[in-house]
Amino acid sequence: MRLYLFGFASDDFLGRVVVTPDGRTVAQLADQLVAWGLAPERGGSLTVRNEAGDILDPAATIADSGLGNGDIFKVERG
Amino acid sequence: MVLPRDEWLDLARKVDWTPRYVDERELFPEEISGRPWLPREAWRDWNEAYRTTYREYVANQREKDAAVLGVRAALSKPRLFDDLDPGWVQLVKFHNGAVALAEYAGAVAELRMARFGRDSAWRTMATLGALDEIRHTQIPLLIGHDLLAYDGNFDWTHKAFHTNEWVILAARHLFDDMFLAADAIDLAIQLNFVFETGFTSLQFMAMAAMADRAHHHLFEKTVASIQTDEARHSQIGHPVMRALIENGSRERAQYLIDKMWWRCWRLFLALSGTAMEYLAPVSARTRSFKEFMTEWVTEQFVKNLAEFDLEKPWFWDLFMEELDYAHHSLQLGLYTYRTTLWFDVAMPDRAERDWLNEKYPQWNETYGALWEELERRWEAGGEAGTLSYGLPALCNLCQLPALFIRPGRNTACTLEMGGRRYLFCSEPCRWIFQQETSRFAEHQSVVDRIVAGDAPGKLIDLHRWMGLQAPVETGKDLRRGLDPWRLDPIPKR
Repeated sequence: MRLYLFGFASDDFLGRVVVTPDGRTVAQLADQLVAWGLAPERGGSLTVRNEAGDILDPAATIADSGLGNGDIFKVERG
Repeated sequence: MVLPRDEWLDLARKVDWTPRYVDERELFPEEISGRPWLPREAWRDWNEAYRTTYREYVANQREKDAAVLGVRAALSKPRLFDDLDPGWVQLVKFHNGAVALAEYAGAVAELRMARFGRDSAWRTMATLGALDEIRHTQIPLLIGHDLLAYDGNFDWTHKAFHTNEWVILAARHLFDDMFLAADAIDLAIQLNFVFETGFTSLQFMAMAAMADRAHHHLFEKTVASIQTDEARHSQIGHPVMRALIENGSRERAQYLIDKMWWRCWRLFLALSGTAMEYLAPVSARTRSFKEFMTEWVTEQFVKNLAEFDLEKPWFWDLFMEELDYAHHSLQLGLYTYRTTLWFDVAMPDRAERDWLNEKYPQWNETYGALWEELERRWEAGGEAGTLSYGLPALCNLCQLPALFIRPGRNTACTLEMGGRRYLFCSEPCRWIFQQETSRFAEHQSVVDRIVAGDAPGKLIDLHRWMGLQAPVETGKDLRRGLDPWRLDPIPKR
């Protein structure tokens, strides 16, 4: 199923809408968000959290991580 | 012999007749006159400081109009743009589009109080207020029309409020809440007490001071003239506030203040903050937006609250923190989404960055690298690399992008209600929404409409949906103009 989520990267200035199939992994979701930002090429580790601040397993699918339509996720860039 | 005003004014404007054929509650229904519905005695002492008569009003307004029109005539149309900084021209375009027809909506608000205000002196003042607001629409329309010959986008002075352009939708959402969909009491507190006594002095007096230094004397005269009207009819708010406080509605009054303070702050950081510090030339900047806000808005408003023994809004600490950042963050949003604006925006040059860092010592550390990255991208690949292409997350209350407070400290939050998840840029926006969910819940942001298929997702179609004809009308980089890729037709395969 396709979801729309709101992603916030720590080095970006703006929350961005990400539309994605929920079968993708959390790591792929983070990569997709970072690609929209101002420094996609920077590299480094990515830590993904939900709105409550829980760290999400990068290997888990978006559906399994508990994210649903309209949810927030935050990506901290190492 | 003509009687002095104070010997007859109360007789003329305190004319609250006793209705015989209908109940007073039918004459002034609670739904539109406002809550609490107080007995007439509670309004008997309603008074304000200006006590203007209609005769005085007409004479004063005639003089004020003559002064503005005199400057317009002296400059003559061919010289309207002489010596104006290009950034300043964009500031005027931004201001005119966002303000001119909002003033016309303000006339509707004043007329509602002129009919449904509970005291006749209040209704008299509001009648003059309605005439004020019509004047505040017509002067910018006249001047905007003069400027059309030089820049076709000045038609947004009139057009903006009839479009789906996203900044305008945010402004309309606020003005609908503040006054078009408000009863007379809420209107007096929200529009007159908070917005006009609290904030419009910033937009009009600060802009007038800057216009003087930017050598735009017609704009200076216009906004200063408008502010003298605002100062008078804003006085409606105080006696209405007093009636609420003295009749057991302190909690309601505090709620209206908290709500409208936050909503006005969001509008003003977007409109005044960005314009003052990214469009006004450095030579015209007398003070920073934060300094204006602190001296002209915050300190004055805290005194007004103290007069009624009211508290500062509960989110005051967050508001104070935002003063250093929020409008700088929004400027990045305006810049990277500039093709969805009706005015051009600037990437700050070296002198402007130095000025910003002097006024906001954390500016360079927080924003400098992002602007440098945008600059590098333009050099490397042209304009295309400096635009945002994905959809921004928009707040379901203020309708602005969720980019507050600053990079690395985002305050966005959500709310699940009725099977729908709502996004907010901050706790205060969510709190306001939660207080009146039935008022706000059905509204769809631009992004909600795109996701639902009710607005086009393709940028070219979205421009048209917003009323922008690309590339002629869509916002550009102020100093770099239109990159050729925007003008070149897409090659056919």
